[in-house]
Amino acid sequence: MISYHSSSELPRGGVPHPATAEASPVFLDGSFGEGGGQILRTSLSLSALTGRPLQLENIRAGREKPGLKRQHLAAVKAVAEICGAKTDGAELGSTTLSFSPGAIRGGAYRFDVGSAGSATLVAQTVLPVLLRAPEPSEVAITGGTHVPWAPTWDFFAESYLPQLHAMGARVEAECPMRGFYPAGGGEIRLRVEPFNEADARPFALEKTGALRRARVSAIVSGIQIAIAETEADILMEKFPELAFEREVREVESPGPGNAVWVSLEFERVTAVFSSIGEYDLSRKTVAHRVMNAVRKYLKTGAPACPHLADQLVVPIVALGGAGVFVKGKDTLHETTNWEVVRTFLPDARIEREAEPDCASATLRIALAEPGGKV
Amino acid sequence: MKTSIISLLGSTLDAHGPRGKDRWNAWRPNVALAMQEDLHFDEFHLLYQSQFKGLADSVVRDIRTASPDTVVVPELMEFDDPWDFGEVYGKLYDYALARRFDREERDWYVHITTGSHVAQICLFLLNESHHLPGKLVQTSPSGKGSKRNCGPRGTYRVIDLELSRYDALARRFASEKRDDITSLKGGIETRNAAFNALIETVERVAVRSRDPILLTGPTGAGKSQLARRVYELRKAKGLLQGAFVDVNCATLRGDQATSALFGHRKGAYTGAAADRPGLLKAADGGLLFLDEIGELGADEQAMLLRAIEEKRFLPLGSDKEAESDFQLICGTNRDLRADVAAGRFREDLLSRIDLWSFRLPGLAERREDIEPNLDYELEQWNARTGKRLSFNKEARRRFLAWALDPATPWRGNFREFNACVTRLATLADGGRIAVADVEAEIARSHVASSKSHVESRTCNSRPATCDAAEGGQRLSDPLADVLGADFAERFDRFDLAQLRDVAEVCRASRTAAEAGKRLFAVSRLAKKTANDSDRLAKYLAKFGLSFRTLAADRESAN
Repeated sequence: MISYHSSSELPRGGVPHPATAEASPVFLDGSFGEGGGQILRTSLSLSALTGRPLQLENIRAGREKPGLKRQHLAAVKAVAEICGAKTDGAELGSTTLSFSPGAIRGGAYRFDVGSAGSATLVAQTVLPVLLRAPEPSEVAITGGTHVPWAPTWDFFAESYLPQLHAMGARVEAECPMRGFYPAGGGEIRLRVEPFNEADARPFALEKTGALRRARVSAIVSGIQIAIAETEADILMEKFPELAFEREVREVESPGPGNAVWVSLEFERVTAVFSSIGEYDLSRKTVAHRVMNAVRKYLKTGAPACPHLADQLVVPIVALGGAGVFVKGKDTLHETTNWEVVRTFLPDARIEREAEPDCASATLRIALAEPGGKV
Repeated sequence: MKTSIISLLGSTLDAHGPRGKDRWNAWRPNVALAMQEDLHFDEFHLLYQSQFKGLADSVVRDIRTASPDTVVVPELMEFDDPWDFGEVYGKLYDYALARRFDREERDWYVHITTGSHVAQICLFLLNESHHLPGKLVQTSPSGKGSKRNCGPRGTYRVIDLELSRYDALARRFASEKRDDITSLKGGIETRNAAFNALIETVERVAVRSRDPILLTGPTGAGKSQLARRVYELRKAKGLLQGAFVDVNCATLRGDQATSALFGHRKGAYTGAAADRPGLLKAADGGLLFLDEIGELGADEQAMLLRAIEEKRFLPLGSDKEAESDFQLICGTNRDLRADVAAGRFREDLLSRIDLWSFRLPGLAERREDIEPNLDYELEQWNARTGKRLSFNKEARRRFLAWALDPATPWRGNFREFNACVTRLATLADGGRIAVADVEAEIARSHVASSKSHVESRTCNSRPATCDAAEGGQRLSDPLADVLGADFAERFDRFDLAQLRDVAEVCRASRTAAEAGKRLFAVSRLAKKTANDSDRLAKYLAKFGLSFRTLAADRESAN
């Protein structure tokens, strides 16, 4: 059983404890670590979950255009709406944000991220919070589902969500409309049931298990399907041993776009590696990006790919409070996340045990009291 | 703070690039605006012409796709010729005036990349003059200082004309300010230095302060006009949005006064058949001009004081206070200090309304402004009636000589002056005011002012019955300058009428030939060889005159 260290943090039953009203504020320097949107999203989720007010300074300091951009602001507004937060500095270009969360409420929500913003990132920010609401939620998020520098919808659906299910979360998600850069206009819908404490179980992802299926997928909207065909063919050729199923199709989207990805469905995890076609990028380059990621993953052998590794931390903390998984080399996103978690939950234990070759490591997360069971 | 943008549909730039979904890969300024990562509009006003409706629909759709939480408001604006400065400026100006910009609640932006170059310049000018609020946005397809392609999103730049670093523009501001001053003077190029200095101060106060203004000065000096112009100036600057409410307190008496100003509830007194919001309420968000404030009764003074200080008041018969946030200008020709001393006017009210006190001089104190005002009144008349009325040269000279004469008292000030010009204009035949008309008017004025020291406003109703010739004989006539003071005794009235016109043409002509051409314009056509100057010389000789003497008279007159 998971036990919480402090009644003021992550209370039992998923409903923020009244004691959160006097929870001490958390001060964070937004320029630290990864120094971009990740630190903002993680701290927003954790502020809502712990009830601790957040004071974030130097948001995206040192970037060409510092401060909050539209997709960051969309995340701030989304979490604020869900937990009735009072905000100050929730404006475009603002480099400071104070965020005083209230009680998390489920319900019907709609969040518009805007064309270039990633709907998936907003989904990942709000999901752990909504799981801790006392009511079920229906959420529509519009924006990009396949944009550069953000997880694709397919990663979210095939790789990330099953791990949340494994933690006991009851979430259904669909993508009625794809949204590519630059037009956007995609939509992700989530149906979230309140997390049931009885479903909580320690999370463990230490081995991939056997490979059950491998698939290469390529999609296009408004451009020649031949582009997707070629990308799929290149990947088929590169990995004959994986005997890919091949899926090439046109998808519905307001604007033009192209994405290609490989799904490796193992017993314990499905790993997804995707690449987004861009206007002046050759189809070969697009396919090779996927190829490199797949090769690296297979070589490392760690079940949690880099994206999964940095995105599992918050759900583990939100739902079970304890988890262990094996991942590849540390990324800046990951280490930043750990620091944010430690700041919000000073007694959280995040331990990393590297393999001798340093190529992979086991990460253990526990919110238990010292001596408590993990 | 919500943000709104006003932008013209770019019939070329917004249609740029391929059709179909591939259009998203092209830079289209209006769609690109909706795609910025660090710029967001809650409201997007897209101005389009009906011939580009199809493109507008598609751009509106794409803006909504790119930015679903932006409310796109397509607005039709037709240009017959988008390159016609007058038309484009006029339409955009009207658009700016018609729209109530909630400058306090919203950040406004004006996009100046699309539309014809003429439209872009007009948008810039209207923003600079504060008719269009907020900041300018310029979009471009590539990054700064390089040809780096930024894709369909391009880049943008915000230009805030309020910032002092736009030095060149600050200089333009000075000229705009001159325009403001001109507008306060009703577009009249006044010459009186004291009056001009006064108006400059009024301009500074009007633009910088919301405090009450007190205008004093004799009746007819233009207090009401100045109040209206202050209102118009403030409105153009976005300093107020409500109506201009002009009240003459001398016309208000008893219950009616209270009710007219502060409103009443149905049944508050006999005759109060329905609710009435009152004039103070009507001026909510606008400007209230209370002329003859010295005539206000004691109760109304007390209520007004409270309405100024607390922006609330109690309508007659109501138990609920009404609220109105109005700016106030008061006018009076009385000495309110003396009224305070005599207990007729509340001292606290006076000190509240005379923070800014300006005394408008009467017309007699600024006779050098008579000529510009004459031109102004004629222009107004022409604008009102659609006619092209003018003085003939001689008549103008005659009129000004009389008007500027210290013996002409102008007790009714501009109101009297205006009435004079109206009478002249009404009675003039064929679009020309002749000397005879002027003489008649002068006679009327003399009769009126000799009758009594009449109150100026009766000037309007003075009968116009004087005989022109009588006036002409009594007063100095330009013909007297060339014929001698006794000319009326030496020549027939019949001849003098013709001579006046001939002399006038001669004065307006450079040479005798030119004058002759005009004078004999019809009959000369029938002649084989015309010698107009000779005909003229012979005619003038009958009076002992020559073209040269008349022309010399012109020189000395100028």
